[in-house]
Amino acid sequence: MSTTFIDEKPTQNLEAFKGVKKVPHEEYYTSGHRTCQACESAQIMKLMAKAAGPRTIVLGSTGCMYVANTSYYATPWGIPWMHTQLGSSGSGALGVAAALRVQMRKGFMKDEPINVIAFCGDGGGADMGLGAISATMTHPDYNLLILMYDNESYANTDIQISGTSPYGVNTSFSTPGKVKRIMHHRWKKNVAPLMLVGHPTCKYVGTISTSYPLQAMNNIRKALSIGGPTFIHCLNPCPKGWDFDPVLSFELGELAVNTGIWPLYEVENGKIKLYGKTEQIANGRFKRLPVRDYLLKQGRFAHFVEDDIEYFQSKIDEMWNKWLVPGVIPLQKELDADVPPAN
Amino acid sequence: MATLTMPVQEKKKVKIEDQEALITGAEAIAIACKLANVDVVTAYPIRPYDTVMQYISQLVADGEMDCEYIAAEGEHSQFEIVKHASVCGARVFCGSSGVGWMYAMEALTVTPALRVPMVAMVGNRALDDPGAFGVEHNDALAVRDLGWLLTWVDSAQEALDTALIAYRVAEDRRMFVPLAISCDGAFLTHSQALVKIPSAEQVKKFLPRYDRGDLLLHPDNVISVAPQANEDWVTEIRRQNYAVTERASDVIREVYAEFEHIFGRKYGNPFFEEYMTKDAEVVLLGMGTLSTPARVAIRKMREEGKKVGFVRLRWFRPFAGPEIAKCLERFKAIGVIDRDFSFGSPNLSGVVATELRSAMYTGSATRPPVLGFIGGLGGREITVPDLEKVADSVFDAAKGIAQPLTQWIGLRG
Amino acid sequence: MGQLFAVEIIYRGVFQKTLAKNITRDIVLAAHNEGKLGISFGRYGDAPERNGIPAKSFAIVANDEQTLQEGMAQYEPKQVDLTVVLDDTLCKGAESWAWYGLQPVHHALKPGHALIVVSLQDAPALLKTIHRREQPYKLGILKGVTSFSGMWVYKDDHTDVRVLGAIAKALPEIVSLQAIEQFITEKLKSPLKVTSAKTAYDRFMTIDVEAGAGNPEELFKFELPKWEDMRDGVSIKGQPQGGPYKDPVTGQVGGFRPARNELFKKYSSRTQRPVVNFATCTKCTLCWLNCPDASFDVTAENTYDVNLEACCGCGVCEEVCPVQDCITMVNESQFKDNRSQYEAFQKDKDAYLKWLEKTIESAVPIEKRTHGFRYRGQYQEQVPEALEVARKG
Repeated sequence: MSTTFIDEKPTQNLEAFKGVKKVPHEEYYTSGHRTCQACESAQIMKLMAKAAGPRTIVLGSTGCMYVANTSYYATPWGIPWMHTQLGSSGSGALGVAAALRVQMRKGFMKDEPINVIAFCGDGGGADMGLGAISATMTHPDYNLLILMYDNESYANTDIQISGTSPYGVNTSFSTPGKVKRIMHHRWKKNVAPLMLVGHPTCKYVGTISTSYPLQAMNNIRKALSIGGPTFIHCLNPCPKGWDFDPVLSFELGELAVNTGIWPLYEVENGKIKLYGKTEQIANGRFKRLPVRDYLLKQGRFAHFVEDDIEYFQSKIDEMWNKWLVPGVIPLQKELDADVPPAN
Repeated sequence: MATLTMPVQEKKKVKIEDQEALITGAEAIAIACKLANVDVVTAYPIRPYDTVMQYISQLVADGEMDCEYIAAEGEHSQFEIVKHASVCGARVFCGSSGVGWMYAMEALTVTPALRVPMVAMVGNRALDDPGAFGVEHNDALAVRDLGWLLTWVDSAQEALDTALIAYRVAEDRRMFVPLAISCDGAFLTHSQALVKIPSAEQVKKFLPRYDRGDLLLHPDNVISVAPQANEDWVTEIRRQNYAVTERASDVIREVYAEFEHIFGRKYGNPFFEEYMTKDAEVVLLGMGTLSTPARVAIRKMREEGKKVGFVRLRWFRPFAGPEIAKCLERFKAIGVIDRDFSFGSPNLSGVVATELRSAMYTGSATRPPVLGFIGGLGGREITVPDLEKVADSVFDAAKGIAQPLTQWIGLRG
Repeated sequence: MGQLFAVEIIYRGVFQKTLAKNITRDIVLAAHNEGKLGISFGRYGDAPERNGIPAKSFAIVANDEQTLQEGMAQYEPKQVDLTVVLDDTLCKGAESWAWYGLQPVHHALKPGHALIVVSLQDAPALLKTIHRREQPYKLGILKGVTSFSGMWVYKDDHTDVRVLGAIAKALPEIVSLQAIEQFITEKLKSPLKVTSAKTAYDRFMTIDVEAGAGNPEELFKFELPKWEDMRDGVSIKGQPQGGPYKDPVTGQVGGFRPARNELFKKYSSRTQRPVVNFATCTKCTLCWLNCPDASFDVTAENTYDVNLEACCGCGVCEEVCPVQDCITMVNESQFKDNRSQYEAFQKDKDAYLKWLEKTIESAVPIEKRTHGFRYRGQYQEQVPEALEVARKG
């Protein structure tokens, strides 16, 4: 066929920063937000803005990083930013991208590539806004990025279960009690693979961690440059909700990767690439650390007994030993019985 | 039908470039969107409004209209997409019906404070449950307290004209608020009438490009929109929106005058339309396509010597309170026909009757009785005999014979 | 009208949330043992709390229903009979996210009433940080290690009952020691806690602080604009872009200083601050890159100077710094101002490095810090030490 009805627009084609010393000094998400000490979600917002640069529009869906990051009259944003309703990161990004595109086409606005990023939490992205994000991921001709920061709870409302809360965790909706030690017995939603398997249009899906800032920024730049709708899932240790000394934020991000709980990978035009320690784990060059090292540094798992830690470990082992694409796609040739520990 | 509802042509010399077409109210609005050069349109299927989106889709496919046409995955997204597009400077169109409108409620709620001049069509439909396709006004009325401008039209011509007026009003810098045009499901959305379609040049003269100015979300205008606010701010932010409603009537009046000047069609008082009220003792009042059976009934009763008239409320928000109270105070009794309900409201009346009583309490010197009638629910026909019965009751009230404050029209029982 | 009392607890958001809530609840319940009525509540504007950001909790007690209503008729008490500060670094002032600029800790305290501070410092040291006020007041120190824990695991180090003991001494009209003892015995069922409360009661005393004594710092003032003067569309202007850093001593231009939000500065969230050794800095960028608050200025020679009005003291920079002792977190009470460390270093390198060596001596090793949950079993290890300090008084 000689004509295509997909009208791709050029992107800013942001090249990777070659080393931390090449990272620009400019801050587009600066000081003066009301987040917790060592808020990794604020950190990824800062890195995201830095990676994207000045010709960017950011949408922030309701959540911790709406309420705490920008308070009326006192904003830390140096690029245009707008609040988006909790379930609207997908539709918001689509609306902005559509508005830019049509106005540029009609000559109402200077024709230039502008980054469109919708920043949403796990509540907004993996729960309420999943449908809208899914729809947006099927639009081939809008350039946009949905960046989902994941602190594994509704952190703004004082920490309640979300679709990405880990098994057994203590939250305001799953506090251990006299009879039930484990109130939350669901396994974390595997969001990035959900995006990549379900949306062949999407040219870039990846996971990142704030403990690897340069890599995170470069992956964001890649997602913004590849064209079309893209999705990044970032794990963000949350000192408040996970209950740890803020100084551990960075270390817990590393531990999540090193224990195999949080695999780092990117899927570019359908091709998967594991990176960092995750790649070493997959190739047998790095032995996964026990999940205990990660779990017991957090107050939210302080109620775990040995059985719980073992179960958690067994599920991570399964992810690496049995999944067809280890750590990523949960298809298995044979299924074992899933037997969570009794209360 | 079309000739009955068509506004009187003005005599002043205006170069009319209209073309005539036999189209539905929904199609008329689709054509208005084309004429207005709308930038972003979002669609989601629900009867009866969605035919407008079918027409727009065809206009885009045929190259007659250039816009981003997005089929959303639900009404919430549908309205959120255009909300964001509008903040980025695009002229937008959207719409829904019944529970679809309610599904979008969160997005509908946030647009007035964000000062988004979104124009939406509501094909009025009964709310679930039970699922019913027919008209009721409770869908659009659900946003009446939120800052939306709400208007009801009664003909395909008025639908087209009002859509053009809507963009001019909503995008006026003094306003920047969302506006919904209500069209009664089936009666207006699905029946075709002869409509005069103005030329693109005339529309261009009437409707300047939407300019979001210093509220534009763009890298050249670094702003933060809608940050979290505590109690130190919210009263002032609400007061700003209140100021918009204070200005609304004047802006609407100006725009109708300008419309008349450019297109030559005259609507008279923009807020309500009077029919045979000059010497009337009592009047009936309602919104939307009720006007057609009402006019027929009025003429029939007039032939019988009953001095009755009809008032059609065109704008519900802003509600022309003082003006309509002044107009109505000369009658001995008023019968309000609500195609909606307001369960638990004072006197258990419909929404329009309740609002009108409130307006009359402060705005009229005489305070004639205002009787409420609920009817036409779920799309049921309000017949000429129904209206005659309504008028009888209103005449009795005028004579001082006590009448219930709320009555149900055509109820089996 | 009967008697009405209000107590406010100023605390570190999240870190001391449970503690503060326990204290204000316990006041009401203990006073109820004496037939009084009361309510307990956290300041709604402080919620949802953030780690370290100052917050307030209140107890209002009256001896009859109508008098209690007088106290409940306000969103929060405009004046309080007693202010308790659960972390002495808050004495530098509290900027909640419910208002703009710092408020002194005695902002709502009635003249002549008592300010209770949990601290290991003495009164002269605290008065260097507590802002001066026009009316005299009383200052009482409850000697103790600052009690920090998090959302889910509570560090039960008796700070709650010790504060109750001090309150009974400072304001016996609100609740007597007997009522508190009875409450602890019946509800908390801990004879050891009864002893802790009684010991705190016995040892607690206040000194008179004269009008005008204290920290002379001028506080930021912010006037809320009128509705007509606010931008519409719920929009506000964004931040401008920063620019090159100008060396305060050499005048050399280079590096970068970001623009910063002038209306909310985060430093009153800080309980510890990074002390930077610019001489050993390898310019690796990691502190700057990993700071969630963009609090580092890049100096003209590409070292990193922490802006102490933006820094909230999380300690991530210390954690990621690859050089031993190049960044050291030191308790905030050691410092009197927010002046640039780099400027001091540039002015007199030897003097700065001497000061640095002395200052970081007092730093608590990271594994012994009491700044939230670090590992399971940590609090059990820390509690005996805290109790020992409390016992010695």
